[in-house]
Amino acid sequence: MPPTLPDFSNSVNLKYVKLGYHYLVDHFLTLTLTPVMIGIVVEIVRLGPDELLNMWNSVHFDLIQLLCSSFLLVFIATVYFMSKPRCIYLVDYACYKPPVTCRVPFATFMEHSRLILSNNPKSVEFQMRILERSGLGEETCLPPAIHYIPPKPTMEAARGEAEVVIFSAMDSLFEKTGLKPKDIDILIVNCSLFSPTPSLSAMVINKYKLRSNIKSFNLSGMGCSAGLISIDLARDLLQVHPNSNAVVVSTEIITPNYYQGKERAMLLPNCLFRMGGAAILLSNRRSERRRAKYRLVHVVRTHKGADDKAYRCVFEEEDREGKVGINLSKDLMAIAGEALKSNITTIGPLVLPGSEQLLFLLTLIGRKIFNPKWKPYIPDFKMAFEHFCIHAGGRAVIDELQKNLQLSAEHVEASRMTLHRFGNTSSSSLWYEMNYIESKGRMKKGDRVWQIAFGSGFKCNSAVWKCNRTIKTPTGGPWDDCIDRYPVHIPEVVKL
Amino acid sequence: MVSPQQHHDHVYDLKLLSVGPGHVTGSDVVHDLTGLDLAMKLHYLKAVYLFSSHAAEGLTIMNMKEPMFCWCNDYFMTCGRIKRSEPSGRPYIKCNDCGIRVVEGVCDKTLDEWIEMEDGSRWNLLVYHRVIGPELSFSPLVYLQVTWFKCGGISLGISWAHLLGDAFSVSDFVNNWGRCMATLKANGSPTVAPRSQTTVPKPQPLSAKQVNHVGDLWVIANNCKMETFSFNLTTQHLSNLIWRSIAKFREGFEPQVVTVCRKDPNHDNNILGNTQVIRSIKADFSVVESDLNKLASLIAGDQNQGRDERNMIEASVEKDNGLTDYIIYGSNLTFVNLVNAGLYEMELKGKKPRFAYYSIQGVGDEGAVLVLPGPPPQGSTVIMAADEAIW
Repeated sequence: MPPTLPDFSNSVNLKYVKLGYHYLVDHFLTLTLTPVMIGIVVEIVRLGPDELLNMWNSVHFDLIQLLCSSFLLVFIATVYFMSKPRCIYLVDYACYKPPVTCRVPFATFMEHSRLILSNNPKSVEFQMRILERSGLGEETCLPPAIHYIPPKPTMEAARGEAEVVIFSAMDSLFEKTGLKPKDIDILIVNCSLFSPTPSLSAMVINKYKLRSNIKSFNLSGMGCSAGLISIDLARDLLQVHPNSNAVVVSTEIITPNYYQGKERAMLLPNCLFRMGGAAILLSNRRSERRRAKYRLVHVVRTHKGADDKAYRCVFEEEDREGKVGINLSKDLMAIAGEALKSNITTIGPLVLPGSEQLLFLLTLIGRKIFNPKWKPYIPDFKMAFEHFCIHAGGRAVIDELQKNLQLSAEHVEASRMTLHRFGNTSSSSLWYEMNYIESKGRMKKGDRVWQIAFGSGFKCNSAVWKCNRTIKTPTGGPWDDCIDRYPVHIPEVVKL
Repeated sequence: MVSPQQHHDHVYDLKLLSVGPGHVTGSDVVHDLTGLDLAMKLHYLKAVYLFSSHAAEGLTIMNMKEPMFCWCNDYFMTCGRIKRSEPSGRPYIKCNDCGIRVVEGVCDKTLDEWIEMEDGSRWNLLVYHRVIGPELSFSPLVYLQVTWFKCGGISLGISWAHLLGDAFSVSDFVNNWGRCMATLKANGSPTVAPRSQTTVPKPQPLSAKQVNHVGDLWVIANNCKMETFSFNLTTQHLSNLIWRSIAKFREGFEPQVVTVCRKDPNHDNNILGNTQVIRSIKADFSVVESDLNKLASLIAGDQNQGRDERNMIEASVEKDNGLTDYIIYGSNLTFVNLVNAGLYEMELKGKKPRFAYYSIQGVGDEGAVLVLPGPPPQGSTVIMAADEAIW
């Protein structure tokens, strides 16, 4: 073999050094304890059984001491097992698949836009530019009321959309899990922008005739990160109520929230938000241990609402003509970056291997004490997780996170493809992404998944799941009929 | 923008939406337009089908929409929009799934009352129509209006750009929709009419007339106001009567050449395109003086009379790559024989339409006559210059 060039051999050496370091630190305990254990075993073997018996008899135990010690042991064990948080299992989940009759191709969206905003060609031009660069595909769906020129968002139509989306997802969940409506102990529904009376959770209880002592909650106004807030709430409730099932329904109802004015900052959501919903079954029953898909490991919530700029960056208000819409501020990306940093700072110590934490700590100390100009060390989260589900809020969000977390294209593929096929479905998008990974056959037992969601407030919430069993394809989800076409190449700018 | 109709209009409460294919057609699919298609671009076909309340029972716009999506999968070219190719400027259809425009409306009359009304222009209320242009790429090619009548009956009104296909294609289009409604299954894409080779120079056609450039607004500029009449007569002789009457009326300017359009005998039942036979017939005797029978034999079904000008029209258009604008209907007095167009083949819930009516929007000054089939007595539509109205 020819002699290797100097810089090549250097980089190879560096790679091995890094690997060695990580192995050393991550398995520190094992590496130190193993020799000790071996030493003890060797000593025992050397002593021989007779010597051991003599040693045992020389230790005088009287009854009281024996009883107290065993009582203490039992007591400690009981306290440990009682205070251990219950294991929360995700048994299964179902995503809503909109029918083809709701499909909105680019050309149709633009043509309707021109007709509705006929007096504002600049606004139409803006929408076209957004759509071209949005990363959405030609199969995303809007509810029937929005297909009219102009849209007809009545309350009846909004309820109709809610019924179709939520009931379809629930029916699919019942079918997949064999769950009986009477077995639901906790119901949490989150839908940010549509909050009728009686609530959507009451609507579900009415439709499926759920029990009268059900613990139901309806979360509204909490934005796209409300899905993980609901999971957090379900987890807390499942700690308090033993042997229970919790159903979480995450959706966003588009019908009443389609902006009908001409302010550009408020037209953006029209281009991105699409129909979607998901229903998730969580349980703390030990009997679900075998068939559950995932186990919930951590939920970390970060709220930047104390900062005024963060609070106002996604703001629902009336425009100059009195039309209500959601105003997205120009520093949305910067604020999202800040919120993510906060969230990572909290979740890092919980999930990162010791080696990464040590490096981060050392760099932090170094920057504080020695030289503030040192580049901050970004921990490599790829060592902590196999899969990433980044909320498909828009192409910019995914790009920003890919850059900040130094993720490869394959890591963000689930997010990009969900944005392309389903659009921004708000709180349920994480579940479509999860289903994408499963449908591709990439989800194996022991894989760790990180779900990150951003939302108005400004919030950044994370959930960490551990895969409980390898998931077979097809999964019976919304990707079944089109997964073979993915991944697709999404051009920077689509020619309309 | 839709503005609410005033209530003294019989059809009101119009709501617009778009319906397109359920499947993505693809990002670079185009439908080329032949010379014949381009020659027809200033004409539009209007068709109305009336169904009684038995046929329309239980129908809502929602359950009509689903079969429409499956129907549009096959007819994806009708869901596209016109674009001009660079650099020639020749129009073609980009199949971008934009969709057909569907309009819902309500009528305050019953079907019976409607059919008995005298006003010939009332059919326009049942067909939402807009011309193509001035923005070609945002002009739908097909409009479909569904109007509910007071008695529970419905009407389906189609406005169809003639460049897509002739009346026979429209009839197939509608019949296929009926089949989609019944079975919720697609019937397979229509065959697109074959493109003919026109390399041999051909003489000028008599049936096509050049008009001034219309630019991007595809509408005919008439020198006189055109009106539409419809009435029932029993035989083909109707056409001849009209020809004779007009000739008499226009004393000194007898129309000696007429254009006759009829179904191509080789026409497959699932073809989309302008395939109808276009013959120009010269009457080399004074029309006014001649025998009814002689005239009838000229128009009737005699294959050897007149000359089939389709290839000539194609060649003329192709000469300058589709840049010149032509009209066919109304360039001479035109007769269109729709008797075997299958107008009564559509079925809704197994019931045939109570009445089917076809008309042409955009007819040249010489006028046009459409001969429609059943229900007996046979109907016909006449589009003439208003001042030539002799009935």
